[in-house]
Amino acid sequence: MSSPLRALVITGDGINCETETAEALRLVGFEAEIRHLNDMIAESMTLDHLSSRYSVLALPGGFSFADDLSSGKLLALKIQHGLRWDLAAFAARGGLVLGVCNGFQALIRLGIFGKSVTITNNEQGKFVNKWVRVVRGSDSCVWLKRMGTIDLPIRHGEGRILFQGSHSAEVVSKFERYGMMCLKYEQNPNGSAFGLAGLCDSTGRIFGLMPHPEAFVRWTSHPEWTYQPDRAGGPGDGLLMFQNAFQEVSGK
Amino acid sequence: MFVRVEVARRPEFNDPEADRILRRIEMAHPKIRRAIRWARMLQVYWLEVQAPREQVIPAVSAIFHDPVVNWLFTGDLIPSTAGSHGGLLDLFESAPQRSGNFWGIERRFRPGVTDNVGRSAREALDIVLAGKNTHPRASSGCLLVLEGVDLKESDVTLLAKDVLSNELIHSWTLVPAVELRSNERFQPDHVRFGFSRSPMKGSDRVHEVALDGLNDQALTDMSREALWALSLDEMKAIRKHFQDNRVKSLRTDRDLPIQPTDVEMEVFAQTWSEHCKHKIFNATIHYREIGESPWGVRSSLPERVDSLFKTTIAGTTAEIQRPWLLSVFKDNAGIVALDEEDAICIKVETHNSPSALDPYGGALTGIVGVNRDILGCGRGAKPIFNTDVFCVAKPDYLAPLPDRILHPRRILDGVRKGVEDGGNQSGIPTVNGALVFDDRFLGKPLIYCGTGGIMPRMSGGIPCQTKEIRPSDRVFMVGGRIGKDGIHGATFSSLALQESSPTSAVQLGDPITQKRMSDFILEARDLGLYRTLTDNGAGGLSSSVGELATLSGGAKIDVGLAKTKYPGLRPYELVISESQERMTVAVPPEKRDAFKVLAQRRGVEVSDLGEFNTSGFFEILYNGKALALIDLKFLHHGGPTLEIEASWTHENQTPGKIEWDFSIDGPKRLLELLERPNIASKEWLIRQYDHEVQGMSVIKPLHTRMVGTPSEFSGPNDAAVLKPKPNKNIGIAVGCGINPKLSDLDPYLMAQSAVDESVRNILAVGAEYGTAESMLALVDNFCWPDPLVDTEKAGALVRACFGLRDACLELGAPLISGKDSMKNDYVGKREGKEIRISVPPTLLVTAMGRVKDIRKARTADFKGDGQSIYLLGGRQFGLLGSEMHAMLMERIREKGGSQNSAVLPTSNLLTKEHRLGLPDWRVAQRIYRWLGGSLGEHQERLSSVHDVSEGGVLVAVVESILGRGLGGLIQVPRYEDPWEFCFGEGFHSFVVSCSPAHTQFLEAEWKNYEVPFLAMGHVQKAPRLEVQFQTGVKPESWSLDMDLCRKAWSREGYWE
Repeated sequence: MSSPLRALVITGDGINCETETAEALRLVGFEAEIRHLNDMIAESMTLDHLSSRYSVLALPGGFSFADDLSSGKLLALKIQHGLRWDLAAFAARGGLVLGVCNGFQALIRLGIFGKSVTITNNEQGKFVNKWVRVVRGSDSCVWLKRMGTIDLPIRHGEGRILFQGSHSAEVVSKFERYGMMCLKYEQNPNGSAFGLAGLCDSTGRIFGLMPHPEAFVRWTSHPEWTYQPDRAGGPGDGLLMFQNAFQEVSGK
Repeated sequence: MFVRVEVARRPEFNDPEADRILRRIEMAHPKIRRAIRWARMLQVYWLEVQAPREQVIPAVSAIFHDPVVNWLFTGDLIPSTAGSHGGLLDLFESAPQRSGNFWGIERRFRPGVTDNVGRSAREALDIVLAGKNTHPRASSGCLLVLEGVDLKESDVTLLAKDVLSNELIHSWTLVPAVELRSNERFQPDHVRFGFSRSPMKGSDRVHEVALDGLNDQALTDMSREALWALSLDEMKAIRKHFQDNRVKSLRTDRDLPIQPTDVEMEVFAQTWSEHCKHKIFNATIHYREIGESPWGVRSSLPERVDSLFKTTIAGTTAEIQRPWLLSVFKDNAGIVALDEEDAICIKVETHNSPSALDPYGGALTGIVGVNRDILGCGRGAKPIFNTDVFCVAKPDYLAPLPDRILHPRRILDGVRKGVEDGGNQSGIPTVNGALVFDDRFLGKPLIYCGTGGIMPRMSGGIPCQTKEIRPSDRVFMVGGRIGKDGIHGATFSSLALQESSPTSAVQLGDPITQKRMSDFILEARDLGLYRTLTDNGAGGLSSSVGELATLSGGAKIDVGLAKTKYPGLRPYELVISESQERMTVAVPPEKRDAFKVLAQRRGVEVSDLGEFNTSGFFEILYNGKALALIDLKFLHHGGPTLEIEASWTHENQTPGKIEWDFSIDGPKRLLELLERPNIASKEWLIRQYDHEVQGMSVIKPLHTRMVGTPSEFSGPNDAAVLKPKPNKNIGIAVGCGINPKLSDLDPYLMAQSAVDESVRNILAVGAEYGTAESMLALVDNFCWPDPLVDTEKAGALVRACFGLRDACLELGAPLISGKDSMKNDYVGKREGKEIRISVPPTLLVTAMGRVKDIRKARTADFKGDGQSIYLLGGRQFGLLGSEMHAMLMERIREKGGSQNSAVLPTSNLLTKEHRLGLPDWRVAQRIYRWLGGSLGEHQERLSSVHDVSEGGVLVAVVESILGRGLGGLIQVPRYEDPWEFCFGEGFHSFVVSCSPAHTQFLEAEWKNYEVPFLAMGHVQKAPRLEVQFQTGVKPESWSLDMDLCRKAWSREGYWE
């Protein structure tokens, strides 16, 4: 028996989607461990330890530090100064990283996608919880393989992705060249540049998105599910992302 | 060093914060809004860091600067990317017009008020400058900059007071243009001067309260002036207790004054407050009824009631008895069994008085407060859903406002934001609620916040509902620190709102501190690190320790050991402060160290205050010096019983009749009803709440079609369904019922209607019902105008309680938890004239039921063209007390008429009296048992179920059609008054639909089980509503474009 594939799900300081994120990872075959950030900092968990034990690192959604000083900011500072993990190196060693909603915001603040992109308040200035239709914006993201158009919920007040210099061609061309603009809304719900819903790094292994794939792992989560009750008990569209991750790291 | 940081949005981007303020200005002062041409909102931070410049610069940049969207102004500390000025001048140059007057309003928190963002800024400095001992301090605020040609100082002052700040918690200063242009304010001396200081140092002296020899008037005055809200009888009872020789000698032994200390008086005041003690619900009531119900509703209720609570609430549940009831009316929340493994608990609270003064803070602390009730329920439960119900005056209220009363739009905007922050940030979905508009809620809004939680039925071999403490268990205070916030909250809410109401009663919540504490508590529970716990809510430590002490038989604490937000708190303040985010936990002595270690690892502060014992006393010390020695028996049972006179006068209301032509007026009135705030879409509100976090959502507040496309549209569902366990298909349904307008006719019916609606709502989505094992439980929340000043209001309470009791008994639905709020009146002045505004007697019933298999849950929307539409249940509808009735009465009032001139429509050929919809519980039983799955087998053939409530049958039909973009044909039964059938309201009815292939199965089953039904039409593709009726010789009909219905119902642009 080979050792199980493990996923690390971070919690603490106001992260609040750790349970359902771990559940989604378990559904596709991972052994998911929810660990408190403070414990990992106290243990000084190194990048070596991280990559030897875990195949996936998930930063779940939530309201870490109440979004004070901008969403994901303090969580990013805490990871950066407390753990000093080089996530690009983790990915280079075969790891996969997922940041959902607040976790994605933290990835942006950590500079994973460079300094010329940020995420800020929705254009309408309001928190919004609704379902959206998303589609792939490039082919390079490991998490999005084989994905067609799918529905997912968004639940955020700060989901508007913006690029430096009003999306100057120079800045954006890098993102395009590497296929980093990997997930887009069909109908832009928050004024995000190019209707972007998610980004990945140039390797396609570090992926962040504002919609919540872990909130659509069963069909009965969809707001229109009672229209097709025969599918009740079946999976939801969000599960595919987790399945892709499992396939990628298990080689199956 | 001292640093001032300003963060401005770069001019090429819109500024959502400024836009939000502009929208609020538009609501409050449209004229001033028109004078403003340009507005930007800057975030301001005042920092003190003991570190050299070269360390501070990168830290400040890393924490506060996002160069893509922001400019950072720090004076001359860090060169600004904005331009040569390095300050606001750069921003001014980007204003489209620069000729007008620039004004700034700087807002900060008053000393001692919770500053969450400042706390985060300090944590950020700690993280970035880790290990350098820089002792950072930080406070936060904002600077609103406005430009306009005719913008006057008086306008800006008004905005500062009225829109930007709430003077209870904020202080503000006007910054004239010349100061905005200069960078003076960044000078270290300015920053230091402006640094938020702690409140003034208090005295640690304890006063003896001299009660002996005072006459009645002096005792009453003393209670009022000290804000104790203790009655004369209570003051006398306390005095008598302290004159007892045994008490005297015990006090002498401990070096306590013979007469009570101020601390002791405060503990009595908190514990005996109406808010905590429910004196009215436990009073002896003498009731008399004058006349008989004109509608044949149950009359002649008992003439003497010893405790409405025992008779009509707890007594009702005792009679019903169900095997799944685990704990009722004992704990912070009611607990029921979900299955063999897990239990569910639920609690609903009100936060009316704090929300009237500070809607945002009031609602936020309301929601996080009731979350703590769940966390502190049994041995600790995890909150999994929130509910919220707001009752406010109509948003387009135009008449002058009474002194100190906020406009309903501001109330609504504030409470919405409060629940958004409280619920969303805590990661608890807001799954169900209601909005009720009535101008009598102007004096006090009713803000209900509810929470449900889940916990394992056994943990560490002990049942979850066990509340046990052993002698020598430690008393731990966990979570937030104590400050001056929320002093006298419990006693304040036991008084009518007055112009002089105390400002210290207002608190701000801190959801993140609470989230950390909550995560820690649940982890400690699973590790078995404590015995039991309760929350620190109303009355603070005095209530929480005072209550827990009864479990062991005594407690001794030293409040000098409690962590405080700042020095200088007086001893009594430590005891009664309602500072948020705190729990009181009983920790076995052998677990004390492990408990502390885990707390530290989770960044949660704990204070070990003392121990529980068997002394029979609640003993409080301050740094070793005795403050209070209170006999627990006297504290909890020594208060005198209240005697209340109550009466109810039955009155017949027979509005006149107006003959309207249904074919012309019918569609018009339907559109008018659809846009009434009570009926119109609440999507604007619902979408700002996270209703799906935790991944349990099955039935959401809205059903939506064409998700994520331009044709997306959402209609309402009746209740929420959650799937709380990942590996099981079992679900829970949560819904509510509230119908205050029926109080004007008979509060007995008002209560029955609330029960019926709440039950129907959860049955609609698929809750089980009908056997002893079917879990369906109710929570009651009474909000009343003061029953002590008006015998009819006390009589209304008696009638409502018996209405509630009778409905629960008929349905076999037990009450498991409840709360009451009894002083929902405003006493003050409007335009110099004395007025009293009292809310209509209002009962909210929250229903929670079990859904056996969530895959069979239902929504309210018709699923497609050709489906058959039925009215399921009785059709004894009446226009009296309906939304139509309310609408017509409002119009008459607006035209200056009296209520007596009210008229209701009838068709031109019918002459019968206006009826009132009445319950028939025997019929209800059959309908509900069928729908709830304990009779018959064809329920799954239904494709939609929607209850008939506000607005009546046609509104329910329209709501079912809207979401799908279809149309429908409805046939009013021949010779039935179409006004009453279409717009009347009543009990027990649903609009349901099914595929034509299923009609024969369903109809046969309904006939078999005597479930009343009426085939009333079908869904059609053309997006029109067609209504056929016959009042005379010939059939008639009208039809209405669904697009018009949709527009009326959506009221785009009406809501913020």
